[in-house]
Amino acid sequence: MAILLSEAFKVGGEWSLAGYADFISKPLNRTVFFRTLKLGALVVLVSAVVGYAAAFCIVNLEPAKRGRMFGLIILPLMISPVARTYAWIVILGRTGIVNNTLVGLGISDTPIRFLFTETAVFLGLLQLFMPLMIIALISSMENMPKDAIAAARVLGANWFQVFTRVILPLTREGLVLGGTLVFTGALTAYITPAILGGSKVLMLETLLYQRVNVSNDYVSAGIIATILIVMSFGANVVLRRLAKA
Amino acid sequence: MTLKYLLPLSIGALLASSSVFAKDKLTISVYSFAQDAYKEALYDPFEEICDCELVIETGNSVERMAKIEANAANPVIDMAVMSSHDALALARKGLLQKLDTSKLASFNDLYDAAKDPIGDNMAVGYTFYASSIVYRSDLVDIKSWGDLLQPAVAGRVALPNITGTQGPLTLHMLSQALGHEGIDFTDTINAIGEKADDIVTFYVRSSQLAQLMQQEEVIAAPVGRFAWSRFSGSDLPFKWAEPAEGQTGGMNVMLMTKGNGNEELAYKLMDYWLSAEVQTRVANAKIDSPANSKVEVSADIADSLTYGADLINSLNMISPDDIIDNRDSWVEQWNSNVIQ
Repeated sequence: MAILLSEAFKVGGEWSLAGYADFISKPLNRTVFFRTLKLGALVVLVSAVVGYAAAFCIVNLEPAKRGRMFGLIILPLMISPVARTYAWIVILGRTGIVNNTLVGLGISDTPIRFLFTETAVFLGLLQLFMPLMIIALISSMENMPKDAIAAARVLGANWFQVFTRVILPLTREGLVLGGTLVFTGALTAYITPAILGGSKVLMLETLLYQRVNVSNDYVSAGIIATILIVMSFGANVVLRRLAKA
Repeated sequence: MTLKYLLPLSIGALLASSSVFAKDKLTISVYSFAQDAYKEALYDPFEEICDCELVIETGNSVERMAKIEANAANPVIDMAVMSSHDALALARKGLLQKLDTSKLASFNDLYDAAKDPIGDNMAVGYTFYASSIVYRSDLVDIKSWGDLLQPAVAGRVALPNITGTQGPLTLHMLSQALGHEGIDFTDTINAIGEKADDIVTFYVRSSQLAQLMQQEEVIAAPVGRFAWSRFSGSDLPFKWAEPAEGQTGGMNVMLMTKGNGNEELAYKLMDYWLSAEVQTRVANAKIDSPANSKVEVSADIADSLTYGADLINSLNMISPDDIIDNRDSWVEQWNSNVIQ
């Protein structure tokens, strides 16, 4: 891997950053980079919001129900990403359930185009990786002192204060772990952006595939791979700092 | 006999038997498309005739070309089939050897366009494909390539991505429809860029397009005739357009790597593949359209193929030289003005 990545730092056999400068100078590459960053961050954010609510509900269930709910959460992880993503093609299509509902309820006169948009890629990635966030948060919440929330409430904290001053600090590690897993997964997923976004919504990983398998451009591919690795580590650092703040 | 003698004797016998009975091997690099059908129509019968073993390597064009280039000094691929422009790219790098067409018995039966498609007898065509527009005849009427950018299909049209074989062909025909000449597609790419929001997707595989058209997401799109059977058997009323500017198309060719050392067997396979017998079998299986003019098929089969001199001669193709010389610039313009 080091040899492959090092190719991105060579131009004409000499060590150089010119490849990176050339890569960044192209508007398409910049668009794809910021789109990947934006969608990755958005998937983490929504996963965290939904994940906290879901994890809180599940942790407070009776043990038997909790086991069943946990099974439902991890069920999607047992299904092939290809099958899950193709299901979205049917669901989000012109004649799919979403458009039929929107038109049926009179919310829209004509079917809305969801496929091959950022919305479709976002939904596909969210469904793919949100279970990881929920699992990480459930694990953290189970380790919280049982009476911490009740104590905060007794001392007069409202639910917002309970979340920001009690739950969030005590589940920080789970949030960092889940956020890193979700962000890294969203960055490196290929099948979902390829099927739901196609070449109209290129992400870094689909661009990487294109550079290798279409253009035979291993220098650009190495640069993209390096950027993806740096982004993954960067996400971990940023999440840790945010959680401590 | 003790174990001391038995073991070396056994190993010797094993080595001797393997060298005596080992068959000659021919390694070929082909498209991964329809390999089961090809096995039945070509590979198995050939192995019986030549008493040799065919080693089949498949993959996309870039991977297969990269393998040929990486092993130029000691070729691991003896013979390959590629698009004519990919073959030309390999020829320009000095990776191919000139074909001795006298060793191909059916050479004179090939359509003229297939005899020397990239020059210097570096390759020979084995199949043609027409490309036109598939559309839903109950929803829209397509009479020109320019109709792909008209409001009637806005939001329900797909185009092939520039990186695939169909991409440059579509640009070529759209360019003509928009009144431009030559292979400077700048204005055409800009016109597509302006309508990018009206285009559902820039598809990469015809199988992906077939699914989108079956799902009624897309009602018109350019596609190669080799994929027509995916649409013609549908319950939905798909029609093959005959645009005013004509149909475009392309050709796939056979080539031999330079210095592979297995020329005799490679010529045998090429000769067999180009024969009317095999080309008819391949055509009847609806895999590839014949380049051998002696092939005769039924009207039903012909309807699924790019068949007959009139159709082949009418195809509005781009020369492989033009594609190779301009592809990088087209991709650059496409990425800047369309994909953005």
